Amino acid sequence: MKAVGLLLTIVVSVVLQVTLARYTVGGRWVFDFVLVGVVFAGLQWGPVAGLFGGTIGGLLQDVLSGQIVGVGGLAKTIVGFAAGVIGTQFVLTRPQARTIIVVGATFLHRLLMIGLGSLIDQQWLGVSWSAMLAEIGLNTLGAFVAFQVTSSLPGAMDRYRMNRRTRLSRRQW
Amino acid sequence: MIHRRTLTLFVAVCLGHVLLISAQVQSRSGLPVIESVAFGTFAGVQRLTTGLADAVSGGWTNYFALRGAARENAALKQHILDLEVTIQQQQALVARTRALEQALALKQTLTDPLLTAEVIAGNPQPGTLTVTINRGTSDGVGEDMAVIGSRGVVGRVISPVSPNAATVQLITGREAALAVAFERSNAGGMAVGGAADGLLRAEFVPVLADVQVGERVTTSGQDGIFPQGFLVGMVERVNRSGADREIVIRPAVDFSHVDIVMVTTKKPAAVAAPSSGMAKSGSRP
Repeated sequence: MKAVGLLLTIVVSVVLQVTLARYTVGGRWVFDFVLVGVVFAGLQWGPVAGLFGGTIGGLLQDVLSGQIVGVGGLAKTIVGFAAGVIGTQFVLTRPQARTIIVVGATFLHRLLMIGLGSLIDQQWLGVSWSAMLAEIGLNTLGAFVAFQVTSSLPGAMDRYRMNRRTRLSRRQW
Repeated sequence: MIHRRTLTLFVAVCLGHVLLISAQVQSRSGLPVIESVAFGTFAGVQRLTTGLADAVSGGWTNYFALRGAARENAALKQHILDLEVTIQQQQALVARTRALEQALALKQTLTDPLLTAEVIAGNPQPGTLTVTINRGTSDGVGEDMAVIGSRGVVGRVISPVSPNAATVQLITGREAALAVAFERSNAGGMAVGGAADGLLRAEFVPVLADVQVGERVTTSGQDGIFPQGFLVGMVERVNRSGADREIVIRPAVDFSHVDIVMVTTKKPAAVAAPSSGMAKSGSRP
């Protein structure tokens, strides 16, 4: 169940990423919903899920973008694992608290990507702070919506079931 | 506390990634088979999601577009008439140019018909400026083919290319470069992407060339990838600092909205340099 949930989270986030990236081709609006999915997996199911989610999501992104395979995978593995560890150390049940982790994860992930890219190219690639800020903003927004939906979904389902049961019991047979 | 086994697993996975990266960096190649299989598989999903997204947005916009349809129709008819006249004039010019090229025994510089393609996905990796188009090897699309938009040059086809989809590297991408010619000053050079501001920088432009702001920059055809004469952009500014100067080019294409592009299915023959020696471009040396 955990593995299916993890795989589903990563695949949905990758599909969402490539679909929405089509409308932001020029690179003005930078976001990484796969990272949001990886952080979600880490917080929800622990460090091992974060680790594997990061590996699968990152490698998928690398393969689809035609870049060196492993760079995104390594960065997301580290971030996913870190998110999982934080999730087990602290009580992060509220969506707002979880969203703050996404802010830190986005920052760490971007720095890792720049660092790894610079190591491979053997020249400092430089940090675009405006792009990083845009990415943090959009990732946070996406994460907040995702966390809000996933936290309120079980309650909403329960309420729906309860209402249905009440209506059925009131009905005159 | 983290379990010892979890930590060992983490270290092992990270090590695996490092080995994977170093193997590719050393061999200077990616994982062609895995890349093309994964890309081909995912292209189908991308096609599906694009179709779905287009159906939703199309339904919405078409509903509102009906309001001004009659007025727009009349304006478009007039525009078509104007374009037909322009096409006839251009065809006459093409025929004349071909005849002159044949008479002077020159290499043909005019391009063959272009293949229309639709952008079906952006790049999943933020900051990497590539797009996926819905044409692939089954349509005759291959690596290093030029991709042109309605306003100018968009980019070139890079690996991976699957039977029904291909990756296009935008000219503003980090490792993109193309041979250009400055129209007014007749100087040659190379426009390279990768800047954070999304603008191109000109390199290898002769020091004595009088490049001015507002000058049109077109493809020179020297690289053997991009056909000659397509608009790349305009010179936005020329920054001087002592003997050095930086020429900044604003691309003609608005990359925030690229949906339909054209692919040149035949590579053009490289033409002679306008005024400077150039290396093969397309990807930065």
